[in-house]
Amino acid sequence: MLDVADKKTFRSHAMKRNMYLSTLLLLSFALMSGLAGVARGADVPAALPDPSKPPPKDLVLRDDAKCTRCHDEADNPRVLAIGKTRHGVQADKRTPTCTSCHGDSDSHINKPENVKERPKADRQFGKDSTTPVGERNQACLTCHQGGKRIHWSMAAHATNDVSCTACHQVHSRRDPVRDKVAQSEVCFACHKEQRAQLSRPSRHPIKEGKVVCSDCHNPHGGAGEKMLARDNVNDTCYQCHAEKRGPFVRSHQPVQEDCSICHNPHGTTNPNLLKVRPPFLCQSCHEPTTHHATAPVGSAVGGGNPSTPQAVIMARGCVNCHTNIHGSNNPADGAGRGFRR
Amino acid sequence: MNAMMKNFLPLSALATAVLATAGTAAAADVDEVTKFSKPESTVSVGIGHVSRDNQRFGQYTGLNKEGAYGLLDVDFVRRNEETGTWFTLSGRNLGFDNRELRFEHNRQGDWGYYVDFSQIPRYDPYTVTTTLSGIGTTTQTIGGSATAQEYHLKTERDILTIGLNKELSNNLNFQVGFRNEKKDGERLWGQGTFGAWRFLTDPIDQTTRQIDATLNYTTERLQLSGGYYGTSFENRNNLLNVVGSTLFAGSNQMALPPDNESHQFHLAGRYSFSNTTHGTFKLAYGRSTQNEAYPTAPVTGAPSSLDGRIDTTLVQAGLSARPTPKLSLRANVRYENRDDKTPVFRYFPSQNTATSTNDGTNETRDIKTTAGLLEAAYRLPNDFRLTGGVDYVEKKRNSPPVRSVSYRETTDETTVRAELRRSISETLTGALSLIHSNRTGSDFLLNTLVNGTIYSNQVAPLHLADRDRDMLRLTLNWTPTEPLSVGVRLDAARDEYTGRGISVVDQTVRKGDAQNYSLDVAYSFSDKVQGTAWYSVNNTSLESQQCGALVADVCTPGTQQVWGSHVRNLADTFGLGLRAKLSRKLELSADLTESKVRDEMLLNSIAGTAVNPIDVINTKVTSLKLSAKYALQRDSGVRVMYSYDRYRTDDWTWANWNYSPADGGTTVLQNPNQKVNFIGVSYYYRWW
Repeated sequence: MLDVADKKTFRSHAMKRNMYLSTLLLLSFALMSGLAGVARGADVPAALPDPSKPPPKDLVLRDDAKCTRCHDEADNPRVLAIGKTRHGVQADKRTPTCTSCHGDSDSHINKPENVKERPKADRQFGKDSTTPVGERNQACLTCHQGGKRIHWSMAAHATNDVSCTACHQVHSRRDPVRDKVAQSEVCFACHKEQRAQLSRPSRHPIKEGKVVCSDCHNPHGGAGEKMLARDNVNDTCYQCHAEKRGPFVRSHQPVQEDCSICHNPHGTTNPNLLKVRPPFLCQSCHEPTTHHATAPVGSAVGGGNPSTPQAVIMARGCVNCHTNIHGSNNPADGAGRGFRR
Repeated sequence: MNAMMKNFLPLSALATAVLATAGTAAAADVDEVTKFSKPESTVSVGIGHVSRDNQRFGQYTGLNKEGAYGLLDVDFVRRNEETGTWFTLSGRNLGFDNRELRFEHNRQGDWGYYVDFSQIPRYDPYTVTTTLSGIGTTTQTIGGSATAQEYHLKTERDILTIGLNKELSNNLNFQVGFRNEKKDGERLWGQGTFGAWRFLTDPIDQTTRQIDATLNYTTERLQLSGGYYGTSFENRNNLLNVVGSTLFAGSNQMALPPDNESHQFHLAGRYSFSNTTHGTFKLAYGRSTQNEAYPTAPVTGAPSSLDGRIDTTLVQAGLSARPTPKLSLRANVRYENRDDKTPVFRYFPSQNTATSTNDGTNETRDIKTTAGLLEAAYRLPNDFRLTGGVDYVEKKRNSPPVRSVSYRETTDETTVRAELRRSISETLTGALSLIHSNRTGSDFLLNTLVNGTIYSNQVAPLHLADRDRDMLRLTLNWTPTEPLSVGVRLDAARDEYTGRGISVVDQTVRKGDAQNYSLDVAYSFSDKVQGTAWYSVNNTSLESQQCGALVADVCTPGTQQVWGSHVRNLADTFGLGLRAKLSRKLELSADLTESKVRDEMLLNSIAGTAVNPIDVINTKVTSLKLSAKYALQRDSGVRVMYSYDRYRTDDWTWANWNYSPADGGTTVLQNPNQKVNFIGVSYYYRWW
C-alpha cells in the first residue's frame, strides 16, 4: 500500500523536523546548562520557620508571613504553590503580596473576640465567594490592564459576571486555561453546546490541543463580534486559511462576506465543518434554474454511473463539480461562473 | 521499528541528556518549602502501542498505524530568583506527529523571547483507490496508473513561531511575534459536469506568514495599544494540469489559490473617566492585495493579473458606566467598511451574451457593516439582576449589474433581549434570557439577463432573507449539598423566514429550529475523589421548499416538481469523569464520552413527481481514557494510559458513490466500524 506522504516527502520531512527539534533542544539545553548553576544557587530558600520563634518569616511572597503562619499546603488552593507562578517572582517588583489580591483582611487575621467564626478574607475568589464579581476582578485588573484586555469592560464575559478566577487558577503553575490541551475544558464549563459539537466527526483538532479556543476568540473582549481574536469572522479564519482570502477573478459572495454562513467551526457531522450537507446548503441561496433545485437521490446505485440527482448529495455533493467554491483565479474565458476550474 | 520510533529515538537521546543534567540538580537535598513553592521540571519517557490501523483515532495525532510509538514529554524550568529570569523548555508529544516544542527565556518585567515549533498533521479519514497518477503534484493523469492503487491523503502544517517582548518603561511595552506556517500534502478534490465526475487531489505546498507587532501604553486611567499586523500567503502551486480527455472547456487546467497578503495598522484604547465609567475604542486600517500573475492566459487585452485590492476601515467606540451602584449601562458602536478596489474587467466576454446571467466581468464585493448595542442592567433585591438590551446590525453591499442569485443590497437586524439573573446565592444561581430578533432590508434587486429580460427571482437567500428569530435560554446552577453541584442549560431557538413572495411557492429556507439541552452533575465523594457526569441533547433542523423550475420565474406546481426537505441533526452526548487520589502514591483518572448523531434528510413531494426517500446517517463516537499514576519515589513514578476509541457510521455518501468509468473507477471509502486500543507506559521524573 502506498502512503502518499511517506512516498513523497517523508525522508526530507523527518530530517527537517528532527533538525528543528534538535536545534531547539540543544540551544535550550546549552543555555540552561550554562545558566542553571547561577539559578540553582539562588533557588534554595530558607528552611521552614520554626513557629515557636517569632516573628515568622516570609516564605514565598513579600509580607506573606501573616498569612503563611496559618495557611500552608493543607489549604485548598495550596497557597505556597503561588511561588511556582509568575506571581511568585519577587525580583519582579510588580508582583503582588497576598493582601494585594485578598485585601488587608484585618478581621480575618485578628479575629474579633465578639464573633464566633473567624471572618473571611476581604476578597475571596473560590466557588463559594461572597465577594462581588466586579470587586474580585478589580483585584486582577489593577495590574492586568491594557493590551489584549483593553476591551474587557465591553466584553460579554464581563457583562455576564464571569470572574477572572472562573477561568484562571492563580495559585497553579499550570493554569489549565493557558494550557493548549486543557483550555477547552475550562471553556466548556459554560459553553455546553460547543462541548457536544466537539464530539462530531468533522472538527478542528481541539481535543489534541493543536487548535485552541483562544486561537479564534479573545476571552477578554475584542472590537469585533463574538469576542473574536481578529476584527471579524473572515480575518479570524484567514489566520490559518489564507488561501480562501483572494480576492479572486471569480468570487463567491457569501465566502467574501462571512465564512460562518456555511461553516460551523465548532464541529459538525458534515465534512469540512459545513452546517448543512449539500445540496441543502447550496439550495438555501441559489435560484431554482437549471439543475439547482434538483431533488437529491441518495440510494445505492448498484455499481451504475452516477447521475446529477446523486451527484448533488453523494461524495462531495455540489462541490463534486463546483470544486473551487471559495473562488477561482482562473481567468480563462468560457465555462461560466460555476467555480469548476 | 516503525517510522514513528525512528523519529523518536534521536529526540529521546536528547531528552536523556537533559535528564542527566537534571539528576545533578535533583541530587541536591531539596527542602519541603522549595518543593511546594518553586517550579519543578519534569521529563516523561515511555512507549505506547496502537492496536490497529485506523483513520479517525489518529487523524490529528499520527497514531493511525498499528505499532509502537515513543512517548516523550519534557517540561524543563529554571528560574533565577535574584533576577527573575526564567528558562523554560517544554515539549509535548515529541514521539507523535503532532509534536510541539517551545523554548522561552525571559526576565520577568523586563524582556523576553520565545521560539515555538508545532506540527499539525491531518490524515484524511478515507481510503482512496484510484488509477489517477501524479497525486500530490501539479500534473495529474486520469487513469495514469495501469492498476488502481491505495492512498491515504494527508496534509501537515509545520509552524514555527518566534516572539519577543520588551518593557520599555513602567508604562510602555513592545511585543512582536512572527509565525511561519508551512502546509503541504494533498487533499480530496475533483472535477465534474453533468454525467461525468473525476477524482483529483489538491496538491498543497503553501506557506502563511504572520507578523504582529504592538506597542502598549498603560497608565491607571489610559491604556493604548497600537501596532501592525501583516500576513502573507505563498502558494508554490498555482495550477493543476489535468491530463486526460476534456470534461468541459478548460477542464485541463484547474486554478489553485493565488498568493496574497494583508497589512493592517491599528490603534485601540481605553480611558477610565472615573472608577465606574470607561470608554474604549479601536481604529484600524487594512489593505489586502492579490496580484499574482494569472496561471492561465486571459483574453487578449486583459491584465496579466487581477491587481486585487480590498481596503478595510474599522472604527469602534464603546462606553460602560455604573451611574448608581445598582445600574450598569453599556453602549457600543462599530463601523467596518470593506472597500473592494479591485479593477473590473470583462475577462469572460464569451459569457456576455444577451441571455446570460453574467456580463463576463469580475465581481467586486463591498460590504459596509454598522453595528450598535445599548444595554442596561439593574440590580434588584435578593441579588437578582435584570438586563435589557438592543442590538442592531446593518450591512450594505454593492451588487454586480447582472446576477444569477437573488440579492438585496441592505439588510438590517434588530435584536431585543431581556435577562433575569440571580448572580449570588448560597445554593442556586441562574439566568433566564429571552431574545427576539428581526432581520429585514432593502427590496430585493430584480435579477435580469444581460439584455434586460427579467430572469429568475424566486429565492430569498439564507443570509439575506427576512427572518424572525426567537430564543429562550435558561441556566441553573444548584448546589443542594456541599459535595454535589448540578448545572442545567436549556437553549431553544426558532427561525421563521419570509420568501420573496413573487413565486406561487415560497422557495428555499422556510424555517429553522435549534434546541440544546445539557445537564451537568459533579460530586465530591471526598477531598480526593471527584466524579462528573454530563448529558447533552442538540437538535437542529432546517425546513425548505424547492420548485424544480427549469425556466425563469415560473413555478407551476404539478407541471414542475415541488418538493420539501426537513434536514435534521440530532445528537445526544454524554460524558463521565472520575479523578481519584487513592493514596500518596496512586492517582487514577477515567473519562468516557459517547456521542450519537443522527442526520435525517426527510424529503416530501408537494406537487408533481414523487421524491425518493434518503437514508438516515447514523454516527456514533465513543472514547474511553484511563490513566493511573503511581509514585515510585517522591520525585519519580510511572504512568499507565489506556484509550479505547470507537467510530461507527453508516454514512453512505461515499460508499454509494461511483466515479464515472472515464475516471478509472476510483473509490473513496472509510471503514464504517473502527475500534482502536492504545496503551502506554511512561516513567516520569521531576526535579527542582
